[in-house]
Amino acid sequence: MSPSNDPFYAGFGQAVRIGTELLAAMIVGGGLGWLADTYLLPTQPWGLVVGLILGAAAGMLNAYRAAQRLK
Amino acid sequence: MDNPLHPFELHNFAEISLFGLDISINKAVILMWIVVVLVATLMIRAAAGRKLVPGKLQNLAELFVEFIRGIILDTMGQDGMRFFPLIGSLFLFILFCNLLGLIPGSYTVTSQIVVTAVFALSVYALSIIVGFAVHGVKFLGILVPSGTPAWLLPLMIPIELISQLARPVSLAVRLFANMTAGHVTLAVLFSLTISGGLLIGWVPFAATLFIGGLEVFIAFIQAYIFSVLTCVYIGDALNLHGHEAHAH
Repeated sequence: MSPSNDPFYAGFGQAVRIGTELLAAMIVGGGLGWLADTYLLPTQPWGLVVGLILGAAAGMLNAYRAAQRLK
Repeated sequence: MDNPLHPFELHNFAEISLFGLDISINKAVILMWIVVVLVATLMIRAAAGRKLVPGKLQNLAELFVEFIRGIILDTMGQDGMRFFPLIGSLFLFILFCNLLGLIPGSYTVTSQIVVTAVFALSVYALSIIVGFAVHGVKFLGILVPSGTPAWLLPLMIPIELISQLARPVSLAVRLFANMTAGHVTLAVLFSLTISGGLLIGWVPFAATLFIGGLEVFIAFIQAYIFSVLTCVYIGDALNLHGHEAHAH
């Protein structure tokens, strides 16, 4: 059995992955919203709010997709 | 007590600037050179003999090749084997950076977010280039999940865009955060050992032994997950909308 098929090793790798997946999408979503607020549109603070919500949704999506690969 | 972030400070050995670009040499740069030389000599030595009954070094190299081959076949299928050199060297480089950083007195290159971000961004750029090279303009369809009703598109496209842009961020932050956190933990425990003295200092010292072992495991896991995700991202670009051959 090759190590990449070892269920413990692969499973641990996937588990480590999912947590950061949520965080990264929220950083990107909130960051984009904040940038739009500060430099592009006079919409403060709504860009940040909408960006964070979309980022949270995207994070959930990424975590869901990562979990789908576990099957 | 010492500042636990002290081990992450970098001091330049030689100030060099090229056309206004700061290319000074510091501990991290030297350590990366050592890793490159180490990995290269190890693999060249291992591949030099190529006997039918492998020696120790060749055995190790064959185990490694089988390991990377398994990852690629699992995530990209046979099509992905042309990325073998990239994935293999990425894995070895990150693994050796992580492991050498555990030697006291050396430096963990992967605890610098500059290093991990450059890796993550180049991997992500490669996956986009591969996507456009294989699918042309149709690659933009990666922003639309298959089977989305038209009235949901204004919501789904921003979400997909963010989830795409989050890929290099999560790749870079994961490696950086794991390596930094581990070393901060070790630094705190060691300084507790010293300030605790003989009476109580053995408790944090025992903990450093445990955390040290855990760190070796994390070094492997992080190198592994970085190469797996590189494969996944390039694989997504190769097979749009995931009608790939699932070799499970």
